[in-house]
Amino acid sequence: MNAETPVLEGRDLTKYFWVKQGRGPLARRVPVHAVDRVSVRLDAGKVTAVVGESGAGKTTVARLLAKIIKPDEGEVLLDGRPAPRGRPRSYAAQVQMVFQDPFASLNPVRRIRHHLVRPLEIHHMAGGNLDAAVAELLRRVALNPPENFTGKFPHELSGGQRQRVAIARALAVRPRVLMADEPVSMLDVSIRLGVLNLLAELRDEERLAILYVTHDIASARYLADTIVVMYAGQLVESAPSATLTDSPAHPYTQLLLSAAPDPDRLTPPHLEGRGAPPSLSAPPSGCRFHPRCPFVMDICKREVPPSIAVSPGHVAACWLHVNPTERGVSEDGVLATPSASMENEIKR
Amino acid sequence: MTIDSTSLAQAPVAGPAPKPMLPKVGILRLPRSPKVIAGLALLAPFAVVAVIGRWMAPYSPNATDPQNWVQHVLVPGTGPGTGIPPNYYPLPLPPSAAHWLGTTVFAQDVLSQVLASTQATMFVGLLAAAIATVLSILFGVSAGYFGGNADEVLSLISNVFLAIPGLPLLIVLADYVPSAGSSILLVAFIIAVTAWAYSSRVLRAQTLSLRNRDFVEAARVTGEGRLRIIVAEILPNLVPIVAASFLFTTLYAIYAYVAISFLGLGGSPTSSPAGLWNWGEMLREGFANNAIRGGWWWWWAPPGLCVALLGTGLALVNFGIDEFINPRLRVAGLTRKAAKKAGITSHATLGMTPVVGNRPAVPSLAARSQNVGDPVLEIHGLSVDYGYGDEAVHAVVDCDLVLRRGKVLGLAGESGSGKSTLALAAIRLLRSPAVITGGQVLFHSKPIGGDGPRGTIDMLASDKEELRSVRWSEISVVLQSSMNALNPVITIGAQFDDLLRVHRPQLSRAARLERSGELLDMVGINADRLRSYPHELSGGMRQRAMIALALALEPQVMILDEPTTALDVVTQREILEELIGLRDRLGFAALFITHDLSLLVELADEIAVMYAGRLMERAPAASLFNAPRLPYTYGLIHCFPPMHGKRERMQGIPGSPPDLSALPQGCAFHSRCAWAMEQCRHDVPQLAPLNGSAREVACWLHRGDAKVPAELARPDPGVAEVHAR
Repeated sequence: MNAETPVLEGRDLTKYFWVKQGRGPLARRVPVHAVDRVSVRLDAGKVTAVVGESGAGKTTVARLLAKIIKPDEGEVLLDGRPAPRGRPRSYAAQVQMVFQDPFASLNPVRRIRHHLVRPLEIHHMAGGNLDAAVAELLRRVALNPPENFTGKFPHELSGGQRQRVAIARALAVRPRVLMADEPVSMLDVSIRLGVLNLLAELRDEERLAILYVTHDIASARYLADTIVVMYAGQLVESAPSATLTDSPAHPYTQLLLSAAPDPDRLTPPHLEGRGAPPSLSAPPSGCRFHPRCPFVMDICKREVPPSIAVSPGHVAACWLHVNPTERGVSEDGVLATPSASMENEIKR
Repeated sequence: MTIDSTSLAQAPVAGPAPKPMLPKVGILRLPRSPKVIAGLALLAPFAVVAVIGRWMAPYSPNATDPQNWVQHVLVPGTGPGTGIPPNYYPLPLPPSAAHWLGTTVFAQDVLSQVLASTQATMFVGLLAAAIATVLSILFGVSAGYFGGNADEVLSLISNVFLAIPGLPLLIVLADYVPSAGSSILLVAFIIAVTAWAYSSRVLRAQTLSLRNRDFVEAARVTGEGRLRIIVAEILPNLVPIVAASFLFTTLYAIYAYVAISFLGLGGSPTSSPAGLWNWGEMLREGFANNAIRGGWWWWWAPPGLCVALLGTGLALVNFGIDEFINPRLRVAGLTRKAAKKAGITSHATLGMTPVVGNRPAVPSLAARSQNVGDPVLEIHGLSVDYGYGDEAVHAVVDCDLVLRRGKVLGLAGESGSGKSTLALAAIRLLRSPAVITGGQVLFHSKPIGGDGPRGTIDMLASDKEELRSVRWSEISVVLQSSMNALNPVITIGAQFDDLLRVHRPQLSRAARLERSGELLDMVGINADRLRSYPHELSGGMRQRAMIALALALEPQVMILDEPTTALDVVTQREILEELIGLRDRLGFAALFITHDLSLLVELADEIAVMYAGRLMERAPAASLFNAPRLPYTYGLIHCFPPMHGKRERMQGIPGSPPDLSALPQGCAFHSRCAWAMEQCRHDVPQLAPLNGSAREVACWLHRGDAKVPAELARPDPGVAEVHAR
């Protein structure tokens, strides 16, 4: 990680959703620990990917950072300073979001022009010539020629074109941070790379800080500089993307990688840690992965694992990486070097 | 739940993805509906009269015509012998040149009264509807958008108004405001107060669902203010609903106005302060003065007819808008009509995809003595259309596919490529407006267990009974959405029990229970989950339970249509492992449909790639992945970033997936193909074997003396193996 101040940073973000349990007057409201003490940093000119299964809290993190929802604990820092309260326009001008479903994120009864004109008007970005600014935006997302698109309704465009319009809308305010919540998962396979490449260009040419939320670890490896893995509302591992996919340090990351489709694999993968994520209204004690973990130890059931720097820039929240003497157990000396065995398995 | 062909037939809806109906249909399309045309035709004269009626009227509605005042009828109980001076009813005059609609007993011109009444009645109706609509938007949309306490309070108010019966409230209100009848505005307001609550509730519900839509959230992220979001983003989406509720309220307001006037609460036009002439008032005077007993139809019939005609017109337009909002209603109607035109009875379209056109019989592979292993499902030249006649979309064109016993055949393609349509058409599960327009599907049945049919079955020539005997018990289907097809109010165990009781009647209750537990166990679910309800299981477990249900009758073929796409990657992998294990153990053949080619490579024995409704390449899985021959396959493979090695920029496939209703000439892929030649723009390539090998490709690059690009000529790792078989 570099020493620069990140453009946007979330520190110990925690979010509970309250759900009713039971029925009628006896219903109790119980908290769902959607996101629990998650810290992420987004640097200018970098893509940070958040990877995990559905329900892991990926989207909630993006929405917390975009200030669509308020955290229960923790804070959001913009340029190292606490972000303003609420969701003022000055914040909207810096942090923008692209949603998962391009079929739902554009208003079906408004033309494309409307979607791009509004942010320009709100933030006084056009300087008088709205049409030129709209055309310029459409050109930036490779919708050429722009005049073919401005008058159309969203349904007249293909999914990929729609997602490009959504990206153009986010870019209209010239933000410095872009949240991309599963921007390609609803698109056809053949056009996904086009959208990912567009995000990569924005990162390289405009130094945009991008948060890329995805369940597809291969695309995260393709696009992102850093990958952050979430499990059951917590951050379990983060590392430069190639490091993370080549030598995962957390058993859950390893499980995710072995389950992902990989045509280059010669033998069928062996899954370690089958099962489903836990209920977030009553999460397991200690490490939330311990009920599924193939390397589970006593301490994992009792105490939340600390974040350990496995190598420079590579952090894993796992007791396996804590020196046995420090974790205060003696019986499990065998697992003192678990990462080596894991790496072997991954490199097969 | 009993899973048999009929209940199953309701489930799959394949075919071109449904487009958002709202803008596609367009407001301009609305008037084309015959109901709307009829309704508007009925309403038009009323609209004209409402505007200029007063000036068209030959007389004043209150003026008596002394020339035609003929005293004629003695009022009973007066006159000679009663001691009371004779009193006469004036006899109303029937229609004449001077009075086109005759006169009343007061010698007033009926036509003039009708014209004046129409104006007042319609103005009150429209004004009341306008006020009610504004109220309902204010209350409903605010309640829906702001939610929380605001919603509680606003909803409480509208619910109170909804709970009060409208007409009694109206009567009380009208009675308490004696001068009400003299002011259009006041009458309209009183009616509106009793009419707004219902629409308010509808709008609240709609706003609630719109509020959480991504485009509203996106507007918020842009920094858009609340009022602007409501007015510029949400309201335009509510227009059809507001329009429908406006018409409905107009209708209600007119009926209400007529009703209170008929009861005499609207104020008499001749008293002071003067009420307004309206249809209710005309009817009241007529009825009060024996118009019916006297046979003076010209007096009471015109206002009555006006109420009926205007009501019918409004209702018809409202039905039209209803169909416009709810496309299912419209599509159902249109489809029935179009199907009739094409000579397909709607009876046949239920649960059985209709087959039309001539289908030249192709001898089965065995009959052609081809060495193809042991085919279980043969598809020859299958073509499927959505829609009829000129509007038909050719979703599947001339496809050949052979599924071999115990093998996994992967069918890959993007959305709209026709892969689901092809598979579901083979067992005729597609719903109307799908039509099979050609081809042959042969099912070579060798039942594994139970007492299924034996021998070759021509699926497209089968009747309902034959299809029933094959579906589920011999060919079962698992869809992406299958996990939502479990009955939510019955335990998993009861659903297994139902299925086994119907199809395996010889099993005892205990044996069924044992078999159910065994089936769940097979897909990795503990047997004690039989007592669970579907909502108590995760999505992955429900999908597993569906797979167990699909396996319950030991089918020979399983059609798996994106069975794991909605699931997480770990669950997906676990289910696929189980499926392959079960395939090895039970020996069924699987047709695995997915957009994820990288997954298929690990899973399938053979892969077929579809594009724009045609099969474009077919090869053993390893050959297809490592040595693709089709430019599209090559591009598709390079759309999946690798998990290892150097990170390099990849390009994907330029352009967009094709629109089936506007396919280019020639090869459908040519506009996206890097190697397209002149020929590709004109001629459609046919699937044909490549250099005598087992693999087939539909591409001009591999025909004649075209130069094959190096990317499409990699050595085939599978060729040797295939020849060895």
